[in-house]
Amino acid sequence: MNSSFWILLTACLVAVTCGLVGTFLVLRRMVLMGDAISHAVLPGLVGGFLLSGSRDPLVMLLGAGAVGVLTAWLTEWVHRSGRVDTGASMGVVFTFLFALGVILVSAFAGQIDLDPDCVLYGEIAYVAYDTVLWGERDLGPRAVWLLGGALLFNLFLIVAFYKQLKICAFDPELAESLGIRTATYHYLLMIATAITTVAAFESVGAILVVAMLVVPPATALLLTQRLSGVLILASLIGCLSAGLGYSLASAADCSIAGAMAVAAGVLFLLTFLFSPRHGLVTRAWFRQRSLLAEE
Amino acid sequence: MSREPRSPKPLSRLALSVACVVILLAGTGVGAREFKFQGEHPIQVVATVGMVADAVRNVGGGLVQVEALMASGVDPHLFKPSQGDVRALDSADMVFYSGLHLEGKMVEILEKIGRSKPSIALAQRLPEDLLIRVGEEGGELAVDPHVWFDASLWALVVEAAGGALAEFDPPHASEYQGRASKYREEILELHDWAKERIAEIPKEQRVLITAHDAFHYFGRAYEIEVMGLQGVSTAAEFGLNDVNRLVDTIVGRGIKALFVESSIPRRSIEAVQEGCQARGHKVIIGGTLFSDAMGEEGTPEGTYPGMFRHNVNAIVGALK
Repeated sequence: MNSSFWILLTACLVAVTCGLVGTFLVLRRMVLMGDAISHAVLPGLVGGFLLSGSRDPLVMLLGAGAVGVLTAWLTEWVHRSGRVDTGASMGVVFTFLFALGVILVSAFAGQIDLDPDCVLYGEIAYVAYDTVLWGERDLGPRAVWLLGGALLFNLFLIVAFYKQLKICAFDPELAESLGIRTATYHYLLMIATAITTVAAFESVGAILVVAMLVVPPATALLLTQRLSGVLILASLIGCLSAGLGYSLASAADCSIAGAMAVAAGVLFLLTFLFSPRHGLVTRAWFRQRSLLAEE
Repeated sequence: MSREPRSPKPLSRLALSVACVVILLAGTGVGAREFKFQGEHPIQVVATVGMVADAVRNVGGGLVQVEALMASGVDPHLFKPSQGDVRALDSADMVFYSGLHLEGKMVEILEKIGRSKPSIALAQRLPEDLLIRVGEEGGELAVDPHVWFDASLWALVVEAAGGALAEFDPPHASEYQGRASKYREEILELHDWAKERIAEIPKEQRVLITAHDAFHYFGRAYEIEVMGLQGVSTAAEFGLNDVNRLVDTIVGRGIKALFVESSIPRRSIEAVQEGCQARGHKVIIGGTLFSDAMGEEGTPEGTYPGMFRHNVNAIVGALK
C-alpha cells in the first residue's frame, strides 16, 4: 500500500476546495470563518450524540455540518440585519454556539468525551487506510470522496454564479443597484464555506483547513487583482504548499499537516517580500533604482 | 466521434460503461481473507506501544524486525503520526497494537489496516472476564486498557502474539510457540516476584496514588489499593474536587508517597502534594512510574521486564 499518493491527492483537494471559498472570504474580510466554525461545531456534536446515542463518525459529521451551516447563516444574518461588522458578528456567533456546547456537555454528557479533537477531526496521515467499502469492494479513501463532493459543489456554485459572486464581493452597492440580490449570494457562499470546512475537518484535521482557507488566497491577492486569476493562483499555491509540505515532512520526519501549513506560510512570506508589484523588497529596490537614476 | 456515423445512444453508452466498471471492480474485490506471509524473513512488524513491540520481539526472535511507533514518553492516547510513521505502516507486513482504546482514535484506523494486512489487537484477545471495566463511555462500559500491569495477563498476551505469528507464518509456527512459552515463563516468574515484593509493604500503607487511573490491574493482581487523579483516559482533565478528595484520603491515612508517570506531566500530582503540605502532612514523590510507555530503548527500562521491575521497586521502596 502506498499512502503518499492518497495523502497528496487529499491535500490538493483540501487546497483547491478551501482556496476557492477562501478567496471570497478574504475579499469579504471573513477569513477566520473556518476557525470560528471549528469552535462552533461543538453543540452539533453534542446534539448528534444525544439524538442518536452514539459517536459514530457519520453522526458527528452530520451534527457538525448542521451547526456549521447554522454558524455561517447566523453570522451573515447578524452582520446584515444588525449592521454589525463581519468580524464582530462572527465572534459573537461562534463564542455563543461554543459556550452553548460547553453547557450541553456538562449538563447531559459529563463523562463522555466529545472533544472535536477526538470525535471529529481526522488525520491526513491515515487517509489511505480509511477507505469506503461498497459491499466487498474497496472504493478508495473516504476523504477523497467527501472532499471531492465538496469541491464539485464549490465549483458548480462558482461557475454558475461567477458574475454575481464577483460583483457582490467587490462592490455590494453596485450589485444592489444592478438588481442583484446580494443577500442570496452571500448566504450561498457562507453555506459553501460551512460544508467545505466541516468536510475538510473530518478528513484532515483543523490546522490544515484553517491555513488553506486563508493563506493561499492571501498570497494570490498579492500577485494579481483579477478574481479569476486569484481563484486559480490560490488553488495552485495551495497545491504547491501541499507538495512542498509533504517533502518537508518526509525530510524531517514530522507531522504532515503541520509541515503543509508551514509551507503555505513560507510561500506567503516570500510573496510578501518579492511579489513583482507589491513586494517589500521589490518596491525598495525600484525606489533605490529610481533615486539613482535621478542622480 | 464524428467519424463514426452510428455511435451508440448516450443512454446505452452509459449503461455500457457502468457495466464495465462493475466488472472491473468485481475483479478487485477485497473480502475477509486469510493472510499468509510470503516473502523473505525477517517479517517487517510495526507495533504501536513499546510493551507490544517487546512482546513481538521476544516471540519472533530473528524472524521478525519490529519497529515501535510510539517512542518512550509518548502518551498513546494523544499520539500524532509523522510522515515516517506512515511510511512504516505502509511497508509493514504485519501490525500489532494493544487495543481496548489505548491508542485512542487510531484504533479505528488500525482496524481498517486489517483489511489489507494482518493487524492484531493483542489485549483484545484476552478473555473478557479478566478485563476491568471502569466508568461509562458513550453509553457502554469502558474497559481499562492498561493490562500489562498484571504480569499474569501480559503472559497471556505474549502467547497471543505467538499464536498470531504462527498463524501468519505457519512454517515457523513451532519456533514462535516455543519462544512464546519461554518468554511467558519469564513473565510469570516476574509475577510471583512482584507479589512477594508488594507483600513487604505493611497492609495499611499499601495505597498507590498516581496522576491517572492506569494501575487498576496492578492493584487487583498485587493487592494494593489504587487511586488516581484523572480518569482512565489521559484526555480527561482533573478538577479541583478530585484534588481535594485525594488530599483528604492522604492526610487521613497518613500515606507517605505519591508517584508521577513518565508520559503524564508532573503538574497534576504536584498539586496534590502542595495540597497535603498546606494541611501539614508531608508526602514525597516516590519516583517516576512507567504507565503508558516504557523507558528508552537500550536501557533496562526499555524492556517489559525491566520496566515492570522498576515500577515495583519504586513503589515498594517509597511505601515500605
